[in-house]
Amino acid sequence: MQIPIRMIGLATTFFWIFLIAFFVTAVYSVKDLHFDFGEPQGNITPENQATISIPISIQNNGLCKISAFKIITEISDNEGHLITHGLTYIPVINKDEIVDTAHTMSIDINEFLEKNRNFLFNDAELRIYETVGMRIADFIPVQASANLSMPWGAPLYNFALGTVEYTMFNSTHIKALIPISFENHAFFDLVGNIQVQMYNSANISVAEGQTSLEAYRNSPYQGYIELYILTTEMPESGRFEVYLSTPFFNYGPLVMPYG
Amino acid sequence: MAEEKNDFKKKLKVFTFKALKATIKGILVYAVYFVLWMVLAPISTYVPSLQQIVETFFIVYITLMIIGELTSGTIFQHFFNAAKALFVVGYLILSLKGGVFGIMFQNIYVTIDLRLFLATVMLLSLLGLAKSVLQAVNYMSEKTEIQRI
Repeated sequence: MQIPIRMIGLATTFFWIFLIAFFVTAVYSVKDLHFDFGEPQGNITPENQATISIPISIQNNGLCKISAFKIITEISDNEGHLITHGLTYIPVINKDEIVDTAHTMSIDINEFLEKNRNFLFNDAELRIYETVGMRIADFIPVQASANLSMPWGAPLYNFALGTVEYTMFNSTHIKALIPISFENHAFFDLVGNIQVQMYNSANISVAEGQTSLEAYRNSPYQGYIELYILTTEMPESGRFEVYLSTPFFNYGPLVMPYG
Repeated sequence: MAEEKNDFKKKLKVFTFKALKATIKGILVYAVYFVLWMVLAPISTYVPSLQQIVETFFIVYITLMIIGELTSGTIFQHFFNAAKALFVVGYLILSLKGGVFGIMFQNIYVTIDLRLFLATVMLLSLLGLAKSVLQAVNYMSEKTEIQRI
């Protein structure tokens, strides 16, 4: 019985040494793993897709290979509804290898603002859930996750129609000058058209006018829209219906009462 | 009287040899701990309890090993060897929280899955336990044989 016991002892010792050496090597390898996250780059495609791309450089100077490397980003609103997500997956990063990649996410701004109209007029905080995962030496899965927040700037922040100025245009028409003001807090320039329809209290359209819009990012906008109303149809009260048309989104009607 | 003196000398010699062997083994394991800690030290800045976990493990392991060595030649040696194997399994399961544990570092939550490592350690410890049981069985059978003769 002595020989089998000795054999078990030898095998156990050998495997213990191997396991400890392997584990220490794997842990030590993490020290020589370098991540370099570059500046996020925003881009808008002709299909109105906003693309956010983060360049990543991974340098594995460790003693073990890294497998199943993945970065997952989930962006959601305050209520937790998913807006967009991105996944970057690298199957294997061998030792002494440098991998350059980009973590890309895309948002269909038109669809996003159509679904979440609140984001048009109010600034908000977007929740970002970031996860980085990998398997060290195919043996130890490691995952790091973080909850972050990102400010969202509303493109039509503080949108308002000012006091309407009425002046006689000619014997048949009255000119109504409607001041429009808002602040573009968004990360993109707002270029398009704004259309205003004027209704009387009987829900009948009495005038209509439109103007072009050019509001640069992070800047206030002030403009006017002219409407010509028949003197005979001049209403005392009613509502304005505002329609916006830009390459990124179409919005309307925004109902604003007057009188 | 002289026979008793010789017997005492012999016992003292055996005990000194056992103590020496235990000391050498203890020093060797401590050296392993020392080298291991040099490698793991950078991680301890992120995991404050790591040093305590590793230190406690090595203190208990070395103690069981020394007692096992001092009681060699008796059935107690095999008990302590079995206890050592069971301690490794139990302590690692408890300290590694079942193999999956998380660390909060600033705003980042890091999860490390050591279940595969833990499974391997458990298998090796069970092999060590099996060895201790076999040694105990062998010790008892040898003792019975000697008594019969």
